[in-house]
Parts: sequence; structure tokens; C-alpha cells
Amino acid sequence: MTLAELERAVQRHILGGGPLPESLAAAVAPPAAERWSVYVEAYRLRLTEALAAQYPALAARAGGSAFAALAGAFIAETPSVHRSIRDYGRELAAHLAAGARGAEDEMRAELAAFEWRLAAAFDAAPGRPTAPAELAAVAPEAWPGLCFRAVPALGRLATETNAVAVWRAAKAAGDAAPEPLADPVAARPGRVEWLILRPALDAEFRSLPPDEAAALDRLLAGEPFGALCEALAGPRGEAGAAATAAGWLKGWLLAGALERV
Amino acid sequence: MHRPLGFGLGLRPPHYGAVLETRPAVDWFEVITENYLVGGGRPLHFLDEVRARYPVVMHGVSLSIGSTAPLDLDYLGRVRELAARCQPEWVSDHLCWTGTDGRNLHDLLPLPYTEEALAHLVPRIGRVQELLGRPLVLENVSSYVSYSSSAMSEWEFLSALVARTGCRLLLDVNNVYVSSRNHGFDPREFLDGVPVAAVQQFHLAGHLDLGTQVIDTHDAPVREEVWDLYAHALRRFGAVSTLLERDDNIPPLEELVAELGRARAVARRTLSEAA
Repeated sequence: MTLAELERAVQRHILGGGPLPESLAAAVAPPAAERWSVYVEAYRLRLTEALAAQYPALAARAGGSAFAALAGAFIAETPSVHRSIRDYGRELAAHLAAGARGAEDEMRAELAAFEWRLAAAFDAAPGRPTAPAELAAVAPEAWPGLCFRAVPALGRLATETNAVAVWRAAKAAGDAAPEPLADPVAARPGRVEWLILRPALDAEFRSLPPDEAAALDRLLAGEPFGALCEALAGPRGEAGAAATAAGWLKGWLLAGALERV
Repeated sequence: MHRPLGFGLGLRPPHYGAVLETRPAVDWFEVITENYLVGGGRPLHFLDEVRARYPVVMHGVSLSIGSTAPLDLDYLGRVRELAARCQPEWVSDHLCWTGTDGRNLHDLLPLPYTEEALAHLVPRIGRVQELLGRPLVLENVSSYVSYSSSAMSEWEFLSALVARTGCRLLLDVNNVYVSSRNHGFDPREFLDGVPVAAVQQFHLAGHLDLGTQVIDTHDAPVREEVWDLYAHALRRFGAVSTLLERDDNIPPLEELVAELGRARAVARRTLSEAA
């Protein structure tokens, strides 16, 4: 068995678990053959711990054994391709959403998405946020052509369930498990738009009114400021649209959300 | 040969505040490289703050130098950038493999001690040293299995690597002990078989003794057997930069500083007796 064949055999066994294959048993010196289980178990344990660290509110909400089962199912279908274990688990929200059976599962999927965005903001690059004062020298005729992109820490998502309330409850409870949902209807308060940023060392978030969220998303998609104003002109009139868009832009810039392109 | 840094601790996030507020009697800190391969935020902020006050060593867990997959040049580029930022005294990782074919098992898996493995490792270590612009410091890992194809001892394998690549060694005294129990060799024979001039750093950590096997857990204080072996290492290698690791059940900083004090005392006593 070459070194490459040996490594592939070991990796298959660790990823797949199960009984030790004959080829691997023959490749190790006694009495250590049965000790492969140390590596097999450590792999699952280490990734479960990484997911619990990445998704603390989800782990608290689900509870120890249920979270271990949830994590185990994810780990079985999602091998790590990351150098840093901190990057493992990005697909958990989609995994949970795909297997959701009811309000609690849907809420957990959204909670995972929310926690992943918070974690991404936590150690994102600072970027070069544009300050409102930097636009003071822009000539009026150049304003419609202004384009922006998100700073690296910016996260945008929407929730349909009470995932953020559950997140707050888990954070407030610390290690104590939060109460289960008393009323499943309360789990679907309706669509809420969220903006996540990291103004200093800690990630922060706030909800956005739907029209402001839609406008921000257009800007983040690359549309110039002028197109934003035009889109708003219908309901608000031209002057009102420009004033509204300028007010929102000032707020986003004050929050350190945007970089001028 | 790098000057000994004295006695250091592994920097862990729960201790960030205490390190900066109390300026503990720690000579240097070792940081887990991968924890700081990020764009910004709290990790790099605290790394910069600690680096402004203490010498720092970068210790990686994902180089996977023994993997038969190609070297990850993107990862190595990020390691080099981090080194440029924090100016570590040296950069270390483990003599192991962590995955192949694009997967990472996030574990330090042992290699067979064969000529084939040496021939595979030598050019890879050379390439990494070239990319990082410095000698690579490699740590012996704890292992639970050994391969029937091994044609030499672990210490003979390490010695051959040093001779062929000029890499340096991070001798984890606890790992030597753990592997010696799991594989039935004399840990002192291991230490006595490693070239003195190649050893740049020691690691000390706790383990779990299950009787039939010993697990490297890093979740408890250093055990007496390892303190004894540390004294033996000091007698052979002299004053070497010593690092106390704790990765689980992390106690308050002052407890680790007190345990580090024991390492200082063992070194002082052993080296004065040897003088």
C-alpha cells in the first residue's frame, strides 16, 4: 500500500465510520488496530464542538442530545474542506431548511442562518467604509451615478419566524436552556428584514423597514443611486424620492455599511 | 539557533482580557495560526494587542505537511501574510497529515516511518520553508496507531528529516509520553535519539490515562510522569523555550500561570543540578 493509498483508506474509514476495513487492519501494527476508533470518534466530536461554538443559540435551543443528533446528520453528509475549523458549518442552515418538518424546524434553519451571518461579521475584514463627509464634495450632477458595495462585515437576511427572538432568549439565558415554544403560531410573526454590521469589535443587528431593505439591496446589487431614486419616484414623487433615498443613504453611511465603488 | 524565549502559554480567547489587563508573568505566547487567518475583528485586534506586549510564536494545525494532496498554496499565502503582520519568533506545525483529496479531518494523523514518507516530506518541507522564508518547526504528534510498514522509529524518522531539510523540532514532551505508552517504547530513548541542536521548543500538556491507552486531551494539568520526562528533556537539551498548552476545561489565567511556574521551577532545579 502506497502512502497515498494508505491516507485514502484512513480517510474513508474516519469519514464513513463502521468496521475497520481489512486493508487498513493489515496496515497497522498490533496492538493498535482497535485504536482507529479514537480517530473516528474524535472527528465527529471535534466537528460537533465546532458547530456548537458556531451556533451557540441553536445548540442551546435544541439541547445537548438533540443538537448532537442534528450535528451528526450534518457532519455525515458534509465533510470539511476547510483549513480552519472555524469555517466549517456554512451549509447548516440550508441543510436544516431542506429537512424542516414544521415550525420549530423552520425556526431552527433561520436561527442557523442568522448565527452564521453574525459569525461572519465577527471576524470579517474592516473594509473601507465611506463616511458621509466624503460625499460632500460630490457635484450634484454626479450623485445619480454614485455606486456602493457592502463592507465585508455586512450581512442581510430576512426571517419569517421568531428566530431572532429565540436568539435573544438564548443569549440572555447563557448556559440555561431557553423555554420551548409555547405557541407555534407565535413562531411565524411575519417577514422581518435584518441588517448585520460590526461597528467595532462586536457584531450588531437591527431590523429594517421593508422599503428601506429593498432599496439597500438594490444598491448592494450594484444599481447606482440615481436608479434607486427613480424606483422610489412612483410612490413618493421625484423630490420626495430623492430626499428619502438620501436620508437612507446617510443612515447606511453613518452605520459604516457601505464602501463607495 | 534561536535564543530561548523562556516560559510561555498558548493564547486562548477566554484569556484575552486578563492577559491585557493583568500583564501576567508569561515570557511569550503561542497562537493557533488558523484562528487568526481571518479578515479582522476581535481575533486580530487581540493578537495585535498581545503582540505589542509579548513575543509570539505561530503554531498551525492544518499545514498537513505529510498529506499526499498538493500543498495548499492559498493557505500558505495566508500564513505568510499573518507572519508578516505579527512577526512571530518562529512558525510551527505538526509532522502529520490532516486530510487528502480536498478534505480536512481536523486531526493530526500519524505517518508511517518509511523512506517513501521521507522522500515525500523532504521536498514539501523545503517548499514550505522557501514560501515562508524561514525554517519550519515541526512537532511530533501523539498517536494511537502505528503502521506495520514503518521501517524506523519515530525519533530516527525525525532525525532524518532534520538532516535532510534543516527543519527544526518542537518536541512535545506529553506527546512523547502518550505515544510511548500507546506503542510500548521507552520515552527516554525517544528523547535521547533526537538531535540536540534541532530542538527549538518544548510543549507540555495534560492527557487522559485509560490504562490500556493514553489520550492526548489538553484538558487537565500536566501529569507527574510528564514532569519527570520534561526534566529528562532539560538535562539533554538544556534551556529550551517551553510552552504550556490547554485547549479544553480552560481554567482562569492565573491557574495556568501558576502551572507555568512549576515548569520554571523544574527547569531551574534541573539545569542547576546539571551545571
